[in-house]
Amino acid sequence: MSRMTSIPRVSLTWLLVAQVLVIIPHLTHLPLWIIGLWLGSAAWRIQIFRMRARYPNAWAKGALMLAAAVGVFLSRGSLIGLDAGVVLLISAFVLKLLEMRTRRDALVLIFLGFFVVVTAYLFDDSMLMAFYSLLPVTALLAALIGLQQSSLAAQPWPTARLAGGLLLQALPVMVLLFVFFPRLGPLWSLPVPNDKATTGLSDSMAPADIAELSRSAALAFRASFNGTTPPRSELYWRALTLDRFDGRRWSQSDYAEFAPDAQWQKQGEALSYSIVMQPSAQRWLFALDVAQTNLAQTRQMSDFRLQRRQPVDRSLIYQVSSWPQALRELQPAQQTLRRALQLPAQGEPRSRAWAEQLKRDYPQPEQLVQALLNHFNREPYAYTLRPPTLGENNIDDFLFETRSGFCAHYAGAMTFVLRAAGIPARVVAGYQGGEFNPAGNYVQVRQFDAHAWVEYWQAEQGWVSVDPTFQVAPERIDMGLEEALAGEQSFLEDSPFSPLRYRNLSWLNELRMAWDNINYGWQRWVLGYQSEQQLEFLKRWLGRVDAQSLVLGLVGGGGLLLGLLALWLFKPWQRERDVQQRLFRRFEGLLARHGVVRQPGEGPRDYAARASQQLPAQAHAIADFAAAFEAQRYAGQVLSTGQLHQRLKALRRALPWRFTRAQP
Amino acid sequence: MHLFKSRWKRWLARRIPAAANVRLNQRRIFIIPSRVGAVFILALLLMLLAAINYQNSLAYGLTFLLASVFVVAILHTYRNLAGLMLKAGSAPAVFVGEQAGFRVRLESSQRPHQAVSLGWPPAELQTQDVPAQGISECQLNLPALRRGWLQPSRLRVESRFPLGILVAWSWVDLDQRVLVYPRPLPGDLPLSTGASEDQDEEGSRPSGQGVDDYQGLKSYQPGDSKRRLHWKAYSRGHGLLVKDFASLTGRDVQLDFEALAGDVETRLSLLCHWTLQLSERHQPFALSLPGQLLPADSGELHRDACLRALALFGRAP
Repeated sequence: MSRMTSIPRVSLTWLLVAQVLVIIPHLTHLPLWIIGLWLGSAAWRIQIFRMRARYPNAWAKGALMLAAAVGVFLSRGSLIGLDAGVVLLISAFVLKLLEMRTRRDALVLIFLGFFVVVTAYLFDDSMLMAFYSLLPVTALLAALIGLQQSSLAAQPWPTARLAGGLLLQALPVMVLLFVFFPRLGPLWSLPVPNDKATTGLSDSMAPADIAELSRSAALAFRASFNGTTPPRSELYWRALTLDRFDGRRWSQSDYAEFAPDAQWQKQGEALSYSIVMQPSAQRWLFALDVAQTNLAQTRQMSDFRLQRRQPVDRSLIYQVSSWPQALRELQPAQQTLRRALQLPAQGEPRSRAWAEQLKRDYPQPEQLVQALLNHFNREPYAYTLRPPTLGENNIDDFLFETRSGFCAHYAGAMTFVLRAAGIPARVVAGYQGGEFNPAGNYVQVRQFDAHAWVEYWQAEQGWVSVDPTFQVAPERIDMGLEEALAGEQSFLEDSPFSPLRYRNLSWLNELRMAWDNINYGWQRWVLGYQSEQQLEFLKRWLGRVDAQSLVLGLVGGGGLLLGLLALWLFKPWQRERDVQQRLFRRFEGLLARHGVVRQPGEGPRDYAARASQQLPAQAHAIADFAAAFEAQRYAGQVLSTGQLHQRLKALRRALPWRFTRAQP
Repeated sequence: MHLFKSRWKRWLARRIPAAANVRLNQRRIFIIPSRVGAVFILALLLMLLAAINYQNSLAYGLTFLLASVFVVAILHTYRNLAGLMLKAGSAPAVFVGEQAGFRVRLESSQRPHQAVSLGWPPAELQTQDVPAQGISECQLNLPALRRGWLQPSRLRVESRFPLGILVAWSWVDLDQRVLVYPRPLPGDLPLSTGASEDQDEEGSRPSGQGVDDYQGLKSYQPGDSKRRLHWKAYSRGHGLLVKDFASLTGRDVQLDFEALAGDVETRLSLLCHWTLQLSERHQPFALSLPGQLLPADSGELHRDACLRALALFGRAP
């Protein structure tokens, strides 16, 4: 191996460090054997470097690669798809270490490292991750520098410092590129990580079968209102409607998919707000009734929910306008009403009988609904996340026996009774409320804010929303889940360390709000900076957005930034000759204050001689400086400018202090 | 292609004129991505593709960050060469077949310059660092193949520091040249027939009979040249004897080009050999070349003058 091609020690060190740093963020989703593979490979490579082991031969390499591929297949179930692809990439990244002999191999490893960092972003794109990833990138750049044959590149810390310096200097240009580089839509569709999207909301509910509802504090979405944020009791975020009941389970019929668009009339004031949604892997979006959005590939279905063509796999930003007082579907299709009256053929005899009774007592639907709500309010119903399980006739059991449950029980039972009484009704699932963040003036809605309520149809008024849970546990609506469960201790039982549990500690709470606000900003301004956001942003700052202004911004801004950087790097004012010139000018200024002004065209020597005559007391210091200046400037004598500086200082000390220029 | 090359050379000569001291500045430094840089750009394009397809802002960010690092590295790579002063050092004469050594001094006026490579491609370049406000010297070797002046082509100065993804380079002409003497070739002493008027001295008649006729023999002393060992006598059992030129002392020897047979280069090589031999022995001698006569003398100056005359025989000075 020649000196040219072998890998220097510093580069190897930084490569190993970079590998650790690159792999760490992947640990949450990598199979454990990768770590073993890495440790083994790193130990082997270090032994090779210390001449205690040899490179693996072709057979060993082949066997290792095959073993890695088999390992990926066993732990991921396939060799294709993003998860398996990433594991394969990381195995290659680790195994490449073993056959790394030449500088070229090291380069391959470094470039692979950059790719692995990119794949980590697909699994986690939080702000912490972004800042963390600067570490492996610095280490990779340090390894790149370490490949140079220079004394600097043979020292680990200066190498890393230089790498960090390069990154810091690159940051302004990077921000510029980030802002101005036009964002394109995806060129082709790619698999996405499947462990990323979660939702607390499912497209069906069977309250009778749930003995305990576990709820997570994970974020569902955040909403910022233009203008004042409505009180939380008005924040009913619709996600979907459940209109089919099979006796135990409420689910969504396909009907809304095919039905014509929803009919509604705008009425009253509009609310306008933007929503930043976490990935949910579902196609529905969240909005207050009745919503209109300009998001592409999104449709308002006949049940007033917003639905996208593609599932929400990445966080999504959209603008919504809502008219809460709008009239919805005054003339619905027969099909719609029929679906809103559908019930199983049998079962729940007591509920049905009670519905008949109510219908007789209250012929007006409005009165009947009110009577039902009063019933929930008056009778000893309880709100709990640990409801008793229910038997065959679960509505009957709930309404007349157990009388405790959570929103799904109340919404399901009420819809059942309304339908049995001949009033078209359906269950609406979504989120209710949310926590107002005063630090950023927005509402954050978490998975435990998931809620179900009821809407029924009435001639002249269309669909009307009512919430039976509000009658049972008004604090759930007014204050949130935590208050509603104050006596039960079941709030966030599963996550004892969630900062949400410690909301009563005010400083901690403020910290939490501020942190969430930072993350919200990150999501809106960095992660969400895609085509529409970019257009909007640039329009606000540039006035117009076209190819010309983008190019102008990139080239002009880039030129300016690089010019500044070049000035800072080259420091032209610090050039040797200029230092001399500058010191001479100061010398001149100093003497001028004492009345000796240099004549145009007067050489330094003549000038110094004249000054010595006029200031005989300081003649010595003047001559000293002039001699040193001449020696450096004209005789090419190598003296440090420091010496010149000192002589000037000596002269200044010798001269009496004077601030203004003396009159000659 | 040839036309292009000569144009390129003329352009370079205008842009970077030959001088013993050259300071690299923006007129003299060129910079482009290296092959590693091309791969780096390719990797960035792939990352950009991933960013576009996954609509991932952080992937965009990293791609842009590395692209910016690339741009910033242009400044750094350029800065690593800019301001570097190259000074031609001494270049002692050599014989044909040896390596001509050109000394080059690299001076930094301000910044350190890392990993600066010098050389004449396609030969491997030599790499060294220049400390801040310091000096670094190096010797570049070039094989001397023909006698006369050896003038190397333009010297390539390049640096890929810090990242190796860009290469900044310059072609400088330090106006250096090395005198290449003929290759010394042992053989008969080519004494001039006409030079010595004194016909009485029969013993000095050379007539191409070679050195043996003029030798005295003395016993070998450590330090004597092994070339002058008398092997024949040794084989006859006379012990180690050294051919002595003592017999020639006190006489003016004239090395004569015309007295030799063979082609020009062989004759020059022989003359070169004897010039060295006689000078080593402090034997005064004269050198006669067609159209040129260096009168009898001894000493280093004389030797160098003779060697120079031999080197430049038939060449432009």
